[in-house]
This record gives sequence, C-alpha cells and structure tokens, in this order.
Amino acid sequence: MSPELEAEIAALLADPPADPPADPPADPLQVIAEGMIVPAAHHHALATLLKAHGYGLYVTVAASHWPQEKASRKEPNPPPERFEVATVLRNPTAPGAPAFWWSVHLAPAEAIDSIVDLFAGADWQEREQWDLVGVVFANHPNLKRLMLPEDWQGHPLRKDYAIDTPHAPWR
Amino acid sequence: MSTDHASTHVVTPWTALTPPPRVDPYVDLSEFEADGDLMVLNLGPQHPSTHGVFRIKLVLDGEVIVKAVGYPGYLHRGVEKLCEKLTFANITPILDKNDYLAPMTSEQCFNMALEKIAGVEVPRRGRWIRTLLAELQRIASHLIAIGTFAMDIGGAIGGGTNLFMWTFRERELILNAFEELTGSRFHYNTSCFGGQRHDLPAGWDLGVIKALDQIERRMVEYADFGTANPIFVNRCRGIGVLGRDLALELGLSGPLGRASGIDHDLRRDAPYHCYDELQINVPVLTAGDCEARYDIRVQEVRESIRLSRQLLAGVPEGPICSEKPNIGPTSVRVKGAPAYVAIEGPRGELGTFLIPTDKGTQPYRMKIRPPSLHAVAVVEHLLPGNNLSDAVAILGSLDPIMGEVDR
Repeated sequence: MSPELEAEIAALLADPPADPPADPPADPLQVIAEGMIVPAAHHHALATLLKAHGYGLYVTVAASHWPQEKASRKEPNPPPERFEVATVLRNPTAPGAPAFWWSVHLAPAEAIDSIVDLFAGADWQEREQWDLVGVVFANHPNLKRLMLPEDWQGHPLRKDYAIDTPHAPWR
Repeated sequence: MSTDHASTHVVTPWTALTPPPRVDPYVDLSEFEADGDLMVLNLGPQHPSTHGVFRIKLVLDGEVIVKAVGYPGYLHRGVEKLCEKLTFANITPILDKNDYLAPMTSEQCFNMALEKIAGVEVPRRGRWIRTLLAELQRIASHLIAIGTFAMDIGGAIGGGTNLFMWTFRERELILNAFEELTGSRFHYNTSCFGGQRHDLPAGWDLGVIKALDQIERRMVEYADFGTANPIFVNRCRGIGVLGRDLALELGLSGPLGRASGIDHDLRRDAPYHCYDELQINVPVLTAGDCEARYDIRVQEVRESIRLSRQLLAGVPEGPICSEKPNIGPTSVRVKGAPAYVAIEGPRGELGTFLIPTDKGTQPYRMKIRPPSLHAVAVVEHLLPGNNLSDAVAILGSLDPIMGEVDR
C-alpha cells in the first residue's frame, strides 16, 4: 500500500462520522494496517477510496457474531454483543498484488452499508452473510437468503444458534 | 440446441470482442409477465451442465434470455459451522470435500492460514512438495474442466462425450500418483499444520514424469479439438463475453479473469510455497468468451506440466514438516490475530479467513472464499441477451464446483 493512499485513508478516518455510533469500538487501531477497525459510517467511503486506488478485485466479506460473555475476574466488564464484518479487497495490478482487509464492528440491531453499487460481486457474498450470520446490509437491492431455504428460521452461524435447533423439514 | 444459431452466427476476429453492455440483474418484468409474452424455464438443479446441483431461473422471450436468477444452496452442508465445532487437526479432511476436483489446494490453503497465524515456517522440502502437488492437482482439475465443457456443448467436439472420457483417462494417471503418495484417490489429507504428512516414495517421480509426457502429448490433440475445430469455434467464439471491469468487480481472478484480460496470478504476483523460485509464464487472453475460457485452461495445463517437470527435477533434501506429527485432535494449537490467506487454486483465488478461539484449538469463525461462488454469480450478469442454447455453453465454461459454492 502506497504512502499516499495510507495518508488518504487516515484523512478519511479522521473525519468525524456524520452519524456517530452510540457505542464506539473500545480500541480503534490508529495505524493503517490489515484488520484495522473502521467505523460503520466510513465503510462505504473506504471501499470507494480503495477502489479508486486500484483495489478493484472484490475478494470476500466475512461476518462473525460475538455474544456478550459472562463477567469474570479477568474481564469484569465484558464488551456488549456485537457483529464484526471483515471486507477484503485486492489490488491485482500493483506489485505483490496486495490484499487489504478491514473490520467493522456493529451493535446487534445496526446495519452496515452494502457495497453492491461498487462491486457487483458483493451481491451474493453479502446475501450469504445475511443468510448465515444475520448481519443486515443497508441499501442491498435483494437481501434474500442465498444458501438456506427462504422459510428457514434463524441464522446458523450465530453463536447462540444451537447446532441441534429444530427446524421445519425440507420439502 | 438451436438450429438456426450456427448459420446466423457471425464469426468475429477473436481478439476484437467488445463486452456487451452491463445488464441489471434485478430488471423488473412485471408488466411483461401479465400478458404472457415471457416464459419461465428452470435450468437445474438436476441438469448435467450445472456440474452438480445449481438452479437458474431463466425468463425467456422466445429463445432469448431476458433475466436469469441463480439459486445455489442445494449442496449446503454447513461446513463453516461444522469447522467451528472441530479442532484444527480435524478440519483438513473436511475441507477435502469442498472442492472435490482440487482437494489438494483446499487443504493447503487452510493449513497456510494456521501457519500464518502461528508464525510457523514450513521446511523447504515440505513447501516444494506442496508446490508440486498443487501443480499436478491443477492439471487434473483443468482436464476435467476441459472434458466436461466438451460434453456440455455436445456434438461440437466430435460426439460430445469422447473428450470427456479421454480427459478422465489422463486425469487417472495423476490420481494414481496421488494414491501412491497418500493412499487415497480423492480426499488426500496430506497437508498438515507445519508441512506435509507423506514424503515422496522412492521412484515416485519416474511414474509422474511418464504420466506428464503422456498428458502433454495428448494435450496437443485436445487443444486442436477446440480452437482448430470450426464447429467448436462457431459454438463458442463471441459467446458469453465477460468484460474485464465486470470480472474484477465480481472477484474473478483465476482462469476466468485471465481469459478476460486480468493479468493477475497469485503464484507469480504474491508467491507462496516455492513459487518465488520458479519462472512462471501466466497466459492471459483478452477475448473473454467461452473459447478463451477453454483455451486458457489448455495453456495453463501446458504451463503446469512444464512447472511440474522443473519441480520434479530439483526436489530438495530435508524434513517435510516442521511440527511434530499429530498425536491427537488437540495437538495443534494456534493463537493470534485473525488472518486472511489466499492461494491460486485451479479456479481462482481460494482464500481462508480465520479467527482462532482464545484457547487456540478451534476456529472461532472460518470463512472460506470459494472461487466457484464468484464464478456462478456471473450467470445473472452474463446470461441475459444470450440464446437459451448458449446458456449451457456459458455455464460449462465457468467450470463451477458446487461442493465449494454451497459449502
């Protein structure tokens, strides 16, 4: 990643988001690095910026569910329930074809902006993450289940989804 | 098959194809459906050209497709959820079943993610063997892609199933070599945390060289079956042209991307294993049609044969694994920050996004980035505007593996 792009990303993230989240991530990474935590309000702008700088190959999106853990002596105030959405983009033309991924932390009812308008490939990938993990992608044109039947109850990759959850038999 | 297609189709110069304008996959057809102009046709899920179980709902205006909606998921087995319940040592055999035509690369990708998080380095001989097996696996996988595509387009390649049978015969040679090495023909479980499980047996390379000679000799004929065959060219040239921009946006990086002019190959651009010690020629075509997607695979097989010979000639001495052999399901412990690792599978970028648990024995979340899911997502953009008879050719040229699409 070039220093100019790093500076632009830093400038983008320095802007206060128009709609500040009620519960900002506890420890946002200050360096531009793989796996950095980005506020949800900056997600779409960051993808736009990266695409304009050659990161045009859509790689993948991976959502994960983090339920609130029980308070323990080690962690008296565990962080509240959250979702983490990691987005990976790649620059296929730069030397080394670097991939860059960042993470967005969401409260349970919070939605993340879809990037289907930038990357047509995000369509099915975001549908799959909604289907399996239950993260809502705002402005997605067709947020329907992809892998599971349309009448499936629940989102199986959530940590609170028991593996033996009863469900209606497949027709 | 459409009867008027071959006569009306104008054969254009191969490199001068312009992609059709982008289509809206969500085009609203409600006003047409009311007066019965359009017909809905389900292609699949049990259709030979879907290479598994994949359903496409086609909305047809006469012979022309106006809208295509893909429905994957018929083979969804919940692999990612299952992996969260298994220990790291137990996962490799599960991943063999994902891309069942190229299990070697699936298991290598996962173990590379573990090694990256744990900071473990694989010994040079282990990496060398992984490189060699990945290239042999690419040959085997592309042979199936070539053969099944020939079957999909039916009579265009001398009787349809001839080439299919012949490429299976050649692939058998590589499967025999893998069987001699690992004891199994498909689900090898030979890659493990820190290196390889099985060392090359004595004299193994002689058999592989003989097999490579035979495959190379036959590949000349198979290439001619395609690009030197006017019926094949009429059937494939200019059909399903995929533009470079759309291919990038959809995340097509493998042979599909390279057939559309994306000069990108992770083996050359971001070398892993021992690829930095090799000179790799990456074939790139600009046409982006079905013929280019066939031809690129033929060229890649030849390149992989060349690389395999080079690899066989210089296998270094030393250990094949840097870790102790697995003695139990919890013997692999990996702790650290999440990581994304990608390798160049036969179908494109195969990636693993892995978050280990705090204890370091299981994945907390594991996302597999299957190249085939991105490949089948193309149909909604590529099929509209084409004839129904071309839908099968386009789908066959994408070479999707439903095992890794649905996972």
